[in-house]
Amino acid sequence: MKKKLKVLMIDDHPMIIEGYKNTLLGENQKEYQIKIDIASNCDDAYANIVKSSETVPYDMLFIDIKLPPSSDGTITSGEDLAKHAKELLPKSKVIILTMHREDHRIHNILKNINPAGFLIKSDLTSSELLLAFNNIVKGKAYYSATVNDHFRKMMTNKFSLDEKNLKILYHLSRGVKTKNLPNYVSLSLSAIEKRKNQIKEMFSIAKADDQKLLEEARKRGFI
Amino acid sequence: MDNFFKKYFILVLVITIFGCNKSNDPNKLIEDKDLKSNIILEHIKSARNTDLTLEERKESINKAYSICSTFKDDIHKRDQIHQISIEYYSLMDYLSYKKMNRKALKLSTSINDSLGIAISYGNLGIYYNRILKIDSAYYNFDQADQIYSRIQRYDYNHGKILTDLALILRKTKDYSQSESMTIKAIEKFELAGNEKFLPMCYTNLGTLAKFFEQYDEAIDYYEKAIEYAKGTNKEIVQTLISLNNIGTVYKSQKKYDKAKESYYKALSYNEYLKKHPKRHSLYLDNLAYVNFLSNDTSQIPDLFYKALKIRDSINDQYGITVNTQHLAEYYKSKGKDSIAKLFALRCRDVSLELQNNEELLKAYQILSEVSDSKEGLQYANTYIKLNDSLIKQERLFRDKFARIRFETDEIVEANQQISKENEILIIAILGLTALFLLGYIIFRQQQSNKELLFAQTQQESNEEIYRLFINQQIKLEEGRQLEQQRMSEELHDGVLGRLFGVRLSLDGINQRANDEFTDSRNKYIEELKAIEKEIRLISHDLGAETLPSDVAYIDAVENLIKDLCEVHKLQYEFNNDEDIDWEEIDDQKKVNFFRILQESMQNIFKHAHADSIKINFDYVEDKINLTILDDGIGFKENKVKKGIGLKNITSRVSQMSGVVKFLSEVNSGTTVSVSVPI
Repeated sequence: MKKKLKVLMIDDHPMIIEGYKNTLLGENQKEYQIKIDIASNCDDAYANIVKSSETVPYDMLFIDIKLPPSSDGTITSGEDLAKHAKELLPKSKVIILTMHREDHRIHNILKNINPAGFLIKSDLTSSELLLAFNNIVKGKAYYSATVNDHFRKMMTNKFSLDEKNLKILYHLSRGVKTKNLPNYVSLSLSAIEKRKNQIKEMFSIAKADDQKLLEEARKRGFI
Repeated sequence: MDNFFKKYFILVLVITIFGCNKSNDPNKLIEDKDLKSNIILEHIKSARNTDLTLEERKESINKAYSICSTFKDDIHKRDQIHQISIEYYSLMDYLSYKKMNRKALKLSTSINDSLGIAISYGNLGIYYNRILKIDSAYYNFDQADQIYSRIQRYDYNHGKILTDLALILRKTKDYSQSESMTIKAIEKFELAGNEKFLPMCYTNLGTLAKFFEQYDEAIDYYEKAIEYAKGTNKEIVQTLISLNNIGTVYKSQKKYDKAKESYYKALSYNEYLKKHPKRHSLYLDNLAYVNFLSNDTSQIPDLFYKALKIRDSINDQYGITVNTQHLAEYYKSKGKDSIAKLFALRCRDVSLELQNNEELLKAYQILSEVSDSKEGLQYANTYIKLNDSLIKQERLFRDKFARIRFETDEIVEANQQISKENEILIIAILGLTALFLLGYIIFRQQQSNKELLFAQTQQESNEEIYRLFINQQIKLEEGRQLEQQRMSEELHDGVLGRLFGVRLSLDGINQRANDEFTDSRNKYIEELKAIEKEIRLISHDLGAETLPSDVAYIDAVENLIKDLCEVHKLQYEFNNDEDIDWEEIDDQKKVNFFRILQESMQNIFKHAHADSIKINFDYVEDKINLTILDDGIGFKENKVKKGIGLKNITSRVSQMSGVVKFLSEVNSGTTVSVSVPI
């Protein structure tokens, strides 16, 4: 008797859903009988989540980060959805699948959602997805290599940078000038300057210029 | 002569020494001048030497003049000529005296030497007075007087001239004019502190007072004359003259005893009179005449004869006329008409010879009385005629003098008028000039204001253009960026997602299909993954922030370079130092850099015949250095006149307080380097 599993897949690309289905419902998967619901935007997804919380909760939620926002504008991304899901369906396993592989994003997601699975789409292959699925069903967490890398970097550093600091480094690395950073990071210019100096001190490269800062951040894996 | 040679020798020695030290021309000239002056002095000395004959002395003075004439025209030469003229005068060569002074006058006039002109006129006056041409004399003295009055110095010289004028005026019986001249002369002599001529002046005043019948004053004046002569070498002669004059005054007053007393006093100067028989005879004659008038016949006619004898012996013709007239009068009063006529005739003849009209008149008067009726009538007619003509002549002279004075006055007046007109003209010219200057200054001010305003508006419009230009660039950039952003997102979220979906599906299917192609399909799936990665990178790059404003400026610069180079088919290389924060640099500077670049590139296209150019913006020590380098034909720096292009560049750079250098060599290109502090 195959174990029944109820899964909600949230992604705005039907092609991707198709890919997930093809993987999970393929020849290699014989242990479980999987029922798959699909949502392509925040509204549908939320409706599904709410409905299942009232009836049979999903065992697993596949959540993409970038999603068309809900019509009332309260839910703007997969992150928000994941938070709601955690509340409404505390027993459900959340798997985040995203194209974004930037450290600060990974960091953010880990911190805010702490998903059971965290898969970076560009790393992902069919077999890995299956592997992750099987692990998570059995109660084990699964992270993509990129995410694990991030963990490793965080662990090897004597200190950790918070999301805002990582954002600053990230945008600097993209070539944004310090004085334009307030447009990207919700901090005042003076606060950003302060943080930059703190980061430099942490890197023990006080008084170095931005070029040096970025080099050091790359070496330490913050970018 | 020994002395002369000694001096000459020393002179030559001195000249030689000086000549050794300084041999340049001006000094030589001075030495030359000194030498000549000394020679002239020697000649004058020998001209004064009474041991020599008159001819020898004249020869000396002629030599002196011939040396003097080699001088160049200056005051020194004029002075020498006057000196020489005086020597001629003392040698009684009056014609040469006149000639010299004429030369001196001409010379003084040509060198504008007022004193020289005055002295020359004065000397010429003396000459004409001497030859009894009193109108010419008057003219010359008057000229001298005018000049001395104008130059306001040389009071002594002026006094002498005034004295001469006074004497001439007295001669023409213009007594009041003569008096005022004399008083003026006295003032001048007192100013000059020289009393030499004062006795003469007072004598003249006395004589004039006598004519005005102010006898007491006349005597006072004569006595004053004695006073002033006291202690001088003229004391005796002046005393004698005054005593004689006083006697004459008393005679006119018919105070014969007092007159006699004066004459006796004069005659008591025995020692002096022995040496001066002319004076002796004069006093004897005058005493005799007073005796005759006072009917004291004790000593006459013997005294008359004594005087006449002396006068005959020294051929004192003037004395003889007076003496014979006195005798004629005496004999007429005695009724001895024939003897009286004899003396009167002699008086007439000598008077005619002397042109002594005063005595001639008296002679005719006596002749008319002592001759028989027919002859007497003739003499009477002659007397009347002569009297008339004399009066006429005197009036003529007076008129002439008045005319001379008037003309000079007129000239002075005309001069004043002219100077007044000149003054007005000068004031007018000055006023006009000031007005013109003012106008010009205002005009310039306005012009420069306009220029300033123009420069300001130009600058403003430059900035405006730049702002518009930059705004345009920014908008373009923004549009571009927006588009890039959109593309980036599209790639990332759309294409990449779908590709991922496709890959995942394929992968999933591939897992299920267990045939021999699984591996090769896996390979393609991996390939898809690689493509995904690439697209992701592209998307990332596209989404990366570029810096709108400063990139816009540099883009504009690069566009300019690119466009121009494409049009003119040139290779170019452009480097912008990333350290330059163009956003921080004010618009004016950016515009200037832009224009300098345009200007320089225009120059390169027009003149350089270059194949490639290289443009760099470098940031060094708070300065932006713009270097524009071409591989064209170059130019010789000093040979090229600065055209408007280079001038514009220079002015723009200096506006930014920067430095610009144009380095070039023929056939090795040109480098324009501009360095501007931020």
